[in-house]
Order: sequence, then structure tokens, then C-alpha cells
Amino acid sequence: MITLTVNGQKHDIDADPNMPLLWAIRDIIGLTGTKFGCGAAQCGACTVHLNGEAVRSCVTKLSRAAGQKIVTIEGLSLNNDHPLQKAWNEMNVPQCGYCQSGQLMSAAVLLRENPNPTDQDIDDAMSGNICRCGTYQRIRAAIHKAAAMQMEGAKI
Amino acid sequence: MMETNTISRRNFLRASGLAGAALCLGFYLPANAKKEELAAATAESGFDFNAWIRIDTDGKVTLTDHRAEMGQGSYQSVPQIIAEELEVNLSDIHVVFAQGNPVKYGSQITGGSSTIRGSYKKLLKLSATAREMLITAAANKWNVPAAECYAEGGHVIHKPSGKKLNYGELVAAASKITPPAQVKLKETSQYKLIRKPLQRMDTPMKTNGEAVFGLDKRLPGMLFASVERNPRLRGKIKSFDATAALKVPGVKKVFKIQMMVFKTTRDGVVVVADSTWAAMQGRKALKVEWDDTGFDHVNTADIYQAHENLLKTNEGLPAKKQGEPDAILAKADKKIDVIYQTPYQAHAAMEPLNCIAHYQQDKIEIWGPIQAPDWVQGDISDKFKMPKEKVIVNMTFLGGGFGRKAFLDYTHEAVAISKELGGPVQVIWTREDDVKQGPYRAGISYRGQGAIENGEITALKFKMAGQNIDHWNGPGRDKANGSTTEGFLKPYYDSIKNISFADVPYEMPLPNMWWRSVYASTNGFAYESFMNEMAVLAGQDQLDFRRKYLKDERSQRLIDRMEEVSGWKTRKQNEGYGVAITECFETTVGQIVKVSRQPNGKVKIDKVWAVMDCGWYVNPDIIRAQVEGSVVMALGAATIHEITFKNGLVEQNNFYDYLMPRMSDVPPVEVHIMENTANAGGVGEPGLPPFAPALTDAIFDLTGKRIRKLPFNLNEV
Amino acid sequence: MRKLLVISCLLLIVGGVSLSFRAERKKNSYAVLPKDSVGSVKAFMSVYKVLMSARCMNCHPAGNAPLQGDDSHIHTMNVKRGEDGHGLYAARCSNCHQAENTAGLHMPPGNPKWGLPPENMKMVFQGRTPRQLALQLLDPKQNGGRSKQQLIDHMAKDDLVGWAWHPGDGRTLPPMSRAAFAAQVRLWIAKGAYAPSAKAK
Repeated sequence: MITLTVNGQKHDIDADPNMPLLWAIRDIIGLTGTKFGCGAAQCGACTVHLNGEAVRSCVTKLSRAAGQKIVTIEGLSLNNDHPLQKAWNEMNVPQCGYCQSGQLMSAAVLLRENPNPTDQDIDDAMSGNICRCGTYQRIRAAIHKAAAMQMEGAKI
Repeated sequence: MMETNTISRRNFLRASGLAGAALCLGFYLPANAKKEELAAATAESGFDFNAWIRIDTDGKVTLTDHRAEMGQGSYQSVPQIIAEELEVNLSDIHVVFAQGNPVKYGSQITGGSSTIRGSYKKLLKLSATAREMLITAAANKWNVPAAECYAEGGHVIHKPSGKKLNYGELVAAASKITPPAQVKLKETSQYKLIRKPLQRMDTPMKTNGEAVFGLDKRLPGMLFASVERNPRLRGKIKSFDATAALKVPGVKKVFKIQMMVFKTTRDGVVVVADSTWAAMQGRKALKVEWDDTGFDHVNTADIYQAHENLLKTNEGLPAKKQGEPDAILAKADKKIDVIYQTPYQAHAAMEPLNCIAHYQQDKIEIWGPIQAPDWVQGDISDKFKMPKEKVIVNMTFLGGGFGRKAFLDYTHEAVAISKELGGPVQVIWTREDDVKQGPYRAGISYRGQGAIENGEITALKFKMAGQNIDHWNGPGRDKANGSTTEGFLKPYYDSIKNISFADVPYEMPLPNMWWRSVYASTNGFAYESFMNEMAVLAGQDQLDFRRKYLKDERSQRLIDRMEEVSGWKTRKQNEGYGVAITECFETTVGQIVKVSRQPNGKVKIDKVWAVMDCGWYVNPDIIRAQVEGSVVMALGAATIHEITFKNGLVEQNNFYDYLMPRMSDVPPVEVHIMENTANAGGVGEPGLPPFAPALTDAIFDLTGKRIRKLPFNLNEV
Repeated sequence: MRKLLVISCLLLIVGGVSLSFRAERKKNSYAVLPKDSVGSVKAFMSVYKVLMSARCMNCHPAGNAPLQGDDSHIHTMNVKRGEDGHGLYAARCSNCHQAENTAGLHMPPGNPKWGLPPENMKMVFQGRTPRQLALQLLDPKQNGGRSKQQLIDHMAKDDLVGWAWHPGDGRTLPPMSRAAFAAQVRLWIAKGAYAPSAKAK
């Protein structure tokens, strides 16, 4: 048995410790917001937070994730109201939407560590996430907007 | 604008307004009839038609999206049209995807940028009809003239008295009213929703993981499958050994499977397991011996050499001709004769192909990211000898499509696997499968010949050599590719007297499929690059040169706008500006690209301006998003990736060798939309073709180097 | 309060670093041979070939982005060094690179310490001539404060350096074994740690 703590909830699962976290989250725990895009840590669609870091769950084995704190897109906020989620909605960022869980999970780490990122910071943080629809320009704008919202919120 | 309805009393059912009833409105194609008719009925009448609009007695409004949502916005724009004339708030409506049913919905194939342009007129009419019926029901109830009532926000309001009824309260009465023979549609200036940049209704569920894509759909008892297919695109299996695969924990079954790729077959060995991971592990443990007999072991270099030989020696099949370009070219002094090459490309949607199938004795049910549910229904019905109405095709959200998910191989394979397995199964393609198995956008080569005299074009002659998608599906090999002129602006024909297009078909064993903007994606590069070369030969500004030949008002206004937004007229010489204008699916897009040389010596794309004239439109923000995305996709195809073949094998595998543009690679794109109410054109694809020729033109302007072969490495320019 | 915390954290880190240096300094026992500039330089040229191979140089780039592949192209995701050498924000090395190599061609290689040298001690190999690299390696200000003994230990025993000889599926190895490499490092230093002439290539 391997114990995974996902979005604050404990799951005891019977799985090969070599199984990538992605497939345990999707096929065993049943949270399908985290996506399979490449299986080789190339595209970022499977990004989740492992102890706060934006790991690629398609190459992260269960043995590494066991007993650690995992957050998926479903746990980014309670009501779809993380500043990034709000900005994503306001700016109509997603097109097909498939990569956006990963984009948001990556952006959330950026924003936590750098509340006011420059375009260069966004390039540095977000180039590991591919969007085939080409929403990059809007992702960039939405991160800036979320940063502004976050700072505005902090003032209140 | 008055619109007339085709209503047959015969097909309009006066169903009783029972409690809990719902008013449904849609269209119906009577047997043996050519024209579809409007139909309205209560939900329990059993009358089967495309209920585009359903209003329940509790006021809940459900609208149907008959097309696939693959990012292009049909989930938003179809309801946005309906809600406008129906007078309901977008926040109060629910959207459901239609199942595949061409009898009800007409064509559902989400391709050719056709969702809006193919259905907006009838959707407007349908919605206005529903509104009028609800108004009449309210007026009858209040015993007041209908003219004193109006609809707003899902209510009918009696203007003089302020009395108000919710649509839900009117459903029972409205369902007994004969739809009006004529309805009045709003003028563009009266729109409250259409032409407004409203937020997409599918965004919230795409930011918290709720949206269900094909890969996310789950059925009780469903197993997962991964297929090892012959790496040569149409090869077969000699033998396989499943011993090791069956020992992988979770693996349930291993067997041989065959799917149709157009009219040929492809063999594979499928591993079925209780998780995706187990299926993939089992697949890795397989030992398969392939049989490649009879397969043409193609190489990329040979393909393009063959193209070039054909273009130089073969006049091809005529596609379009006016005047005598050959005679003029033969005598001309000032002329050019060049060849352009464009690569094979994979669609590489972010959601790899996948499909759930459940084959049962009396029905087949399918769920998946499907661009053409109606085609899938017909195809599966044919191949498995199941009546069409027993083939239920459910669309999920699509994690991108770009043409690939309109192909029928993956759905056929999934049903075949489910049949053999005897239960529901989800077949998941890996990224490698998705990249390596095709079908691809065909790589096409072009020859452009043109003559200039006194600064004017006297002759233009284009030939294309490459594969024709249509040839996969049957006859027509004696006719030129119907898409030979795709991308080329039609107004040119009015002013360029001597012009010809020909197609030199090049038959190959590689399956091809539409790829965003189809042949315009490659034609546009050749034809518009050539126009830029002709402008240089004539010694004229590229936009002024086009202005002379694109004399229609819409083109002139588009060019004005392009100049205005980009500062074209005030640019300095050789500052790195380039331009192209293409037409695709009834929409014209002009783009201006600006490049510069960075201190590190590399060329950088500073900015892209795009001006789109798509006529009547629904949501300007979705249009802008589509053009922004089209530019990124075009950038990848022009400068970053290509599919190549070596000895019949695809050389690329995954995003490490079929690279994608990333955040740090993309230039800012500024999109402008022309305002007019001409017939709606497409939106999802037309932004793609002009980018590559505008980019290479900008590079020519900056460096003097004309690029005629895609892709090229921007870092090496 | 926050300032105090930061300062005490810094002290802890600095303390940790100096402690570890001290601990290493105790075992100071590399062989010393008669000075031999020719032999020393010859040994270094072998060392140089290893250090400039893709397996070593890719994580000692001239810029702030690591390199990838036998052709040493810039890392596909444009990841950056970051202050600690382990990446930035959502692009930390360990987000993809595990404690061990992930099996399969083109899959992320791994090591528990996977990363570049830190921002304040870049230890660039890419583009360095043999002479430049030799002088840089010997200079504690540029080599992470290492004594010659520590330099030998790093080359001979460090686990991350050792990854170069176990790089995972499909990656070429440095031009000699690790043992041979370590022997050449020892020889270089034992014979006087001479730097090649400016002309050496």
C-alpha cells in the first residue's frame, strides 16, 4: 500500500511504486484534471504540486510522491477563485483547454515565489508548458493580471 | 430583416402541455424531402428532431452545440447566436453536445471553419421563432395584443402593465402555438450578445479540471488499452509473443487488431489492462515481428526530388486558367521561375488520440474527442453492420483537433478492440503514436513563374506537386486537386488576365489528412511569397503592388487597415517588414510581420499585425484568440518542426524532436477585425496561411535573403 | 522579526558550508610527485577532454541555460540556472529530473543533486580554453572554494560528477572511464598542477 495525500485527502492505493504519479491520480484516484500530453516531461500538461513544486507527474514515480503533499488542479482553490483562475477567466485564456491545468499549476508556483513577475520571469517559468492552441500571449497577460489582483488583494 | 419559415403543419406536433413538459425547437428533415422544416414539440411527444433549443417548465434553457468544441469556440458561439434572438441570458443557459446524427443536425464535421458560417442563419431564425411563440403564449394568457409584449432575459414582459412571465411558465402554452410563418430578425446594431467579446462559458471548467475531454471520460467496468502498431504506416504483423506482456500486473488480454486507414489496413497488437500505465508497460514487454512486404520505404529527400522533377517536366492537370500565360512567359524578358517547398506536418494536438468504445450485441456506443460524429456514426455502422440509429457517438471536449480527429481510424480501432474484448475500453495513443502514425499534412512543392512588363504582371503560372487527400477516398485521379487555388485571393482573377494553376499529383503510400487551413496552409506560402517576389521584380512596394490587383472594396479597405495599424507607410527601408494576404474558407486575412536583428546576431520576430475580414461574426474575442493561435501554429510549421521519413519510418517521436513553439518563442500578435455584415466566413483556420509568407518577406526585407523552403531555422537566418 | 530570521538562516547556511569545508580539509592526502610541467599539462589535456564532453559541459554552460544532448543545444524548455543552480519557479530541475535516470530514450536523466553550479559560482566550462579552464579549476574563488584535495575528491567521488558515466539510455559517455579520469586529475595535480599554455587547444 502506498499512501498519497492529494488535495488534503489521504488515499491508500495498491500500485507499483514505479507507476508515474500521473496514472495513479487519473486512473486510480479518479481526478482527471491533470492531463497526459507526452509522458516524457516535455509538455507540462501533467504538472501538479509536490510539496509546492511544479513537478511533472508523468515522470514522477509513486515512490517519490508517497507520503508527500500533492496538489492537483482540482485543489488549486476551493471555488475556482485563485487569482490565476480568475484572470484566466477574465482574459478568456483557454481555447481547447487541455494544457491549461498544467499552465495554471506552473503559473501558481511562479506567482507564489515572485508576486510581480516580468515578461522574462514568465518566459523562464512557463517555457516548460506547451500550448498547441497558442494561447501563450493570453497566459502572459493573465499572469500579469493575476499578479496585479494578488497585490491589490494583499493591500486590502 | 424578415425571414420566412418553412413550416409544415404535418410535422409540427401539437403535443399536450403536461406538467413537467418542455418546449423543444429545432429542425427536421422529413423523409424524401430536400429542405428541412422547422419543428416544435413537447419533450414527451416522442417526436424525433434536432432540439436545438429546449425550455423546461422550470425555465431552464438547454441549447445544443451540434459541432465539436476543440478550442475554436463553438460551445460559446453557437449558444451566443441562439441566446441573442431567443432573448435569454447566457448565464442562465446550459449547453450540451449533440450526438452524431446527420439526419437531425446536418453536417456535423467540424472542419473547413464551417460551424458558424454553415448554420448561423438558420439558428437566428429558429431562436427568433421560439421567442415569438413564447410572446404569443404570454399575450394570449394576458389577453393583450402580442405587439404590446416583448421578451428579455428569459421573460416575456407586457410593456404597458409591466406584467412579466418566465419562459418556463409559458412552455405549456407555447408548445400549442403554431410557429409564425415569418419572423423579424434584429439588425446588427440591435445585437446585445452577438459581436460582443463575451467570456466563454467553457472557461471556468477549463481552469479547475472539470471539463471532460475524451481521455477523462470513464465508464463502469472500463478497461484501458494501448496498441503497438506497425511503425511502417501500412505494414502488417508476421507474429507476436505476448508471454512477457501478460505477466505485467494489471494486464488482462493481448490480441492482434486491425484498423482501416482509408481503404488500407494497419496491424497492431493491443494490450488491455486495468490502468493506462499497466497497458503501456505490457506493450513495452511485447515482442512483435513486422511484415513490411510491399511497403514503399520512402525517404523525405526522394519525395522532394520527385516533386521537383514533376514540376519541371510535367504540365499536370489544369485547375484554373485564363488568358495565355505560357505564350507570354515564353516571350517575356523580365520574369522569374522559382520553386517553393513545404514540409509534412503532424497535427500534434495536446490531447493524444483516444476513444472509448462499448460494443454490445444490439448497439455500439462511442465517446471521445471526435471532430466528425456524423461520419463516425456512418463509418461504424458500415463496418460493423449495425443500423445507424444503434451507433451512438458522443462528443466530449476535444484537446485540440486541427483536422486529425476528423479521421476515422482511431474510432474504428477502438470499436474493433471492444468487440473482441467484449466490454467497454478506452484506447489511448501515446504521444509517439500520435506523432509517428499519421496521417499528415502533405508536404507540397510549388513552381511559380511570372512575367512583369512596365511594372505590371503580364502572366502568372503556378503548379503544385504533392499528395491529394481526396485520392485516398476514391476516384478523381484524372482531375486536378480541387484545392489547388485555395488560399489565392479571388479578386486577383479580375485584374490579372493571364494566369493558370495546375496540379501534378504525386501518389505516395503515406496517408494524408486535413491540417488546420488544409492546402491554404502550403499554397498561401507559395502564392503570396511569389506575389512578394513579383513586387520586387516590378520594383514596387508589396502592399501598393497588391492594391493594384485587388480592386474590390473589401480588399482595398483591408489593405488600408493593414497600413494603418502597422505603420506600414512610415516604416524605414529594410527595417524588416513583410506582408501577405490570403483567403481561406470565405475569410481574408492580411498579416504584417516585423523582424529585427538582435545584438546576439539572431533574427527576432518583434510583432505580428493581423487584419481579418470574416464578414458577419459572433464573438470578436474568440476571433482574436483564433488568429493569435493560428499565428503560433504557423510559426511552428514555418520555423520549428517537420515530419520526415527515412526508409519508410517517421523520424520524429515526441516533443523533443517534433519541437513546439514555447512561451519564450512567440511574438506579440495584434488582431483587427473588419466591420461588415457580408456573409459569415470561417474563423478557426484563415489566420494561419499568411504568416509564413509574411515572415519570410520580412526576413527578405531585413537581410536580402529569400527563403523558399519551409521549415527554416530562425536562429540561422 | 523577519530580518532576524533571514539573518539566522544565512548564518546557518554559511556555518554549514564552512563546516563541510573544514570536514573535507582534514583528509588531505593526495600524492605529490616531482614537479613536471610537461607531464602535468599532458594529464590536464586528458582531463580537459572529459570536462568538455557533452556529459560534463552541458551543465557548465557559458550562459544561464543548461545544454542538452550530444550536440549541446540549449535546453528545450529554456530553463534557467536560478540563484542556487537548481532552476527557477515552475522550472526547477527536480520538477522533471528525478533522483535517478528515468528509463527510456530522451527521458529526463536524474540524480539527487541534479543542477547547474549556482549563480555566484558558475564554473563555466563551455568556451574555455585548456589554460583558462585549468586556472579556473585551481582558483578557489572560481571553483567553489575547493582545495586541490577537494578538487580531486570532487572529480573522483562526487555522485553528480559520476552521473556522467551512468547517463541513461542513448547518451554517449565521456571519452574515458571515471577511474582513468580521476587518475589523470591526480596526476595533473601531483605533478604540480600546471596550466597549459595559452596556445593549447
